[in-house]
Amino acid sequence: MNLVFKALSDPSRRRVLQLLRKGPMSAGELAEHFPVSKPTMSAHFSVLQQAGLIDAEKLGRTIYYRLKMSVLEDALLSFAHTLGWSMKSPERERPHAGNNLQKRSAFNKEA
Amino acid sequence: MATKPLIFYFAPALWMLSAVLAAANWYLQPGRAGAWAVSVVLLVFLGLALLFLHFRAPHREDGEAAAPSDAEWAPGIRRGILFAELLVLSSLSVKLATALRVAGDADLGRRAMMVIIGAFLMLTGNDIPKTLTPLWALRDAPRVQAFQRFVGWTWVLTGLALAMIWLFLPVKLAESTTFLVVPSGMLLVGAQVVRLRRACQRAA
Repeated sequence: MNLVFKALSDPSRRRVLQLLRKGPMSAGELAEHFPVSKPTMSAHFSVLQQAGLIDAEKLGRTIYYRLKMSVLEDALLSFAHTLGWSMKSPERERPHAGNNLQKRSAFNKEA
Repeated sequence: MATKPLIFYFAPALWMLSAVLAAANWYLQPGRAGAWAVSVVLLVFLGLALLFLHFRAPHREDGEAAAPSDAEWAPGIRRGILFAELLVLSSLSVKLATALRVAGDADLGRRAMMVIIGAFLMLTGNDIPKTLTPLWALRDAPRVQAFQRFVGWTWVLTGLALAMIWLFLPVKLAESTTFLVVPSGMLLVGAQVVRLRRACQRAA
């Protein structure tokens, strides 16, 4: 449980989890939402994976991430969001970030 | 050497305690031999399941490498056994307490059993969103994920409601409310299954 709290303590990681609530996303799609370097994002993904909150799956050359949260962990995330535990997201919405859903549906059709 | 989780000791301990309680009940109330025989048969079955787990999936206890398929089913079966033992134990202990005139409430056993069933629903529902199917096998991954989250939450809330109802409401009211809450949860899940199937068929 310590790993879960550690993972949820960071606003960027919480934002990743919130984005993944919409459905599986590739590492690139997720990284588009954050103004940080790829190694930093990889470190965040690694922490989330160690806590068992997300699952990574490689399809072709792309790594897809998706939620692997229990109901309790989901409730904790919502709690953190509602209480606003320093939820100032570092997200930087890019104009093409909204195309992610289309990209995902294309992925689903391929799959 | 890896430390064994508490559940490995808990399940055999509960089994032994239940066996002792069954024997004590049989000794104190020999007139109800049929009921005690049923609980003994149940305990034998649970004991066999525990032995099967011990010999079939020892890797989890020794910390050795295991086949992934083993690692998947063993904790679920172990949890099921544990809850079955809790149900038998609560029933036997209340019967014994009533026979010894320690407890006067005849509905105590029923209440305990319903609370344990509620807890079982909560624990089962909690893990539903963690059950993942490989992405390549999914036609509509976002929808399946949303469905799993919905089912998990519904199951957890149904279990919580059931436990609260049997903890705090009078028995008559608890009975009628249970028939309202549990089928409602099942109906909600059923409706979502139908919706998901239709969506997948449309996508195909």
